Amino acid sequence: MTAMESIALLGDIDAMIREAQSPASRVRLKKLGLEIDGLPRLLAARARLADGIDPRWTFSYERTRQRYGRGIAAVRDRVCSGCFVTLPTTARPRDGDSPSPQHCESCGRILYWI
Amino acid sequence: MTVATAPGHDLSLCLPDLKSKKKDAALAEMVLAASGAGLVSGAGLLLETLKLRERLGTTGLGKGVALPTARSLTIVHPRILVARSTRGIDWQASDRAPVHLVLLTLAPAGWSDDAYHALLGRAAASARLQRTRQKLLSAPSVQGLALAFREAMG
Repeated sequence: MTAMESIALLGDIDAMIREAQSPASRVRLKKLGLEIDGLPRLLAARARLADGIDPRWTFSYERTRQRYGRGIAAVRDRVCSGCFVTLPTTARPRDGDSPSPQHCESCGRILYWI
Repeated sequence: MTVATAPGHDLSLCLPDLKSKKKDAALAEMVLAASGAGLVSGAGLLLETLKLRERLGTTGLGKGVALPTARSLTIVHPRILVARSTRGIDWQASDRAPVHLVLLTLAPAGWSDDAYHALLGRAAASARLQRTRQKLLSAPSVQGLALAFREAMG
């Protein structure tokens, strides 16, 4: 798994953790019949994943996550889904194993091109 | 924001007979179909997210129905995929019954909890009634399954 994929998975896990920790969400999911009793297992999986990622990526991710709630945003049709700003035409998807992540120049989130 | 969408027209989103006997393999089969339909940009990553969701708690609802779900960066278009397993799959559901009907619910990462839970609610509601479950399970073809699911979604 590349650094980019690991950070994207971290973003997905954090969304699940947020949802599982929200009392309102817990009630709704329980009503639907979905169980969310394995939060400790998910937190452990998150910790293991984060330990294996280059600290330059995790530092950048955590900084924007603390600021906005989500540290990574999908890019679709050259638009950052975090702040909805169109990226400059010079912006291109980078190799997922590049030494440092690519950020949105507007909001600072890590960019995940889809 | 459009809340999706029964796969009434896209038959690639209906899998009338899953080949896999195990949960992880069934999820992989469905992710492959989603990827083939252009709903997903990173199939491997989505599969990991779905497996981690199962670790958070089983998505087996009981009565032979499972509602695996992901809200992920890899998802390009929200959608519900419907799949059947004739043999049944052990999904570790609370009633321990094998799962014959799987509703894979996919939403992009940017969706709010409200929108995401509304989509999950629609998927779960489509299989709540025994009558509609029976229609979904007995539809004789992929077209029939797609039609039955569209009707079940209202």
